[in-house]
Amino acid sequence: MARRRKTLAPKGRDDDVRWIAGFALGSILTVIMILVVIIAPPATIGPSEGELAPDFSADSYSGANWINFKLSDTFDYEWNEGEQGEWILIQFIDTDCPYCWSEGETMSDLHAQWSNDVEFITIAVELSINGHDSNQQEIEAFRDKTNYGTNDNDGSGCNSGRDNCANRPGAAHNWNYVEATSAMMKDWEVTGTPFLAILQPDGYVAWNQYENTGESIEDAMQRIVGGT
Amino acid sequence: MNEALTDPVLLSFITGLLISTYIMLIGKGKNTTKLLISSLAFAGVGIISSTYTYIIHNKMVVQGTTAFCSSEGIVQCGSVIGDPTWNNLFGIPWGVFGIISFAALIFLSLSLYLDRHAKWAENFLNYSWWAALGGLPFVALLVVIELTQVEDAPHICPFCTVAHLSLIGYVLAIYYLKENKNSGNWSEQR
Repeated sequence: MARRRKTLAPKGRDDDVRWIAGFALGSILTVIMILVVIIAPPATIGPSEGELAPDFSADSYSGANWINFKLSDTFDYEWNEGEQGEWILIQFIDTDCPYCWSEGETMSDLHAQWSNDVEFITIAVELSINGHDSNQQEIEAFRDKTNYGTNDNDGSGCNSGRDNCANRPGAAHNWNYVEATSAMMKDWEVTGTPFLAILQPDGYVAWNQYENTGESIEDAMQRIVGGT
Repeated sequence: MNEALTDPVLLSFITGLLISTYIMLIGKGKNTTKLLISSLAFAGVGIISSTYTYIIHNKMVVQGTTAFCSSEGIVQCGSVIGDPTWNNLFGIPWGVFGIISFAALIFLSLSLYLDRHAKWAENFLNYSWWAALGGLPFVALLVVIELTQVEDAPHICPFCTVAHLSLIGYVLAIYYLKENKNSGNWSEQR
């Protein structure tokens, strides 16, 4: 009687080829990393001094209407240290924050002195505090010093709802007020308001308030921007 | 014609996609080796195009513009990769996600190509399938973003689209590989 031979299923290789695949992949990734570093190394992005400021794109009020505003559109990428250029002052506020309320006057004074050399940008956030609800009308009123709310500490208006926005200290501001998105405070590592930072014309952070607690914004502007 | 569409780099990516598709179609239903090569080719085009988008991203961030990609018209990547709100996920550029994802797919396909009869081969085939399928919702999300969310939408980022098509091609190649496996065509000689 003829014996039937059982058909054997194909057997895999003795060595584990996953190691070979892993090494091949490691080589590919190494080449990719080297190429990226040579052609376009990633920038260090963050709010600390020497880092490229975190970019954002958000609604902005310039006095007439709300339009999209992209921070990096204000950067002069060709700028070199020592050259003339327009510096950027970033201010984070909450229209209901009492310190931001009084800093309105400081900002007016700074703008009167440095508006030729510095672009002012105010970013309005809404802190997660009771009574700090905000909206675009309140931001407009805070910026323009127009009638919004009452002086009766009834929750409507600016300064934790204690004041009509028209009574904000300082003159009306005529620079861009940006309505913050939730990611912006995180990207800028802002833990409270007001917060100020000075950017070089090419967008790198030159001065961060948190890193210079002993220096006022006026002194920082004089030291870094100077010229007036 | 939109100048972005005549970019030599883009044309070479499209050629890569066409070659991958051709290999897949001639291997469909009978030749496991060709299908594995096709899946590797799709993943290869995907990882290279993802790297390219990451390079464009870095150039856009540091220089505000790049010669690597047009910023004019509907078909362009400047407004897509340069949009700070949508060009990343949790701060990580989409190109990096593409590189990592396609690297994982290359590892799976290359392991299968080197030893399709190993004990783990069937698991790896299933991992490839589910991993690639898992990427499709992200492709859909990114297409929606470039068509509706970025500044002055709609835009179509050509290099991003190459990466998206690479993933779709990879899914198809793995689908045909699974068909081969299920129909007993897995063991054909190389």
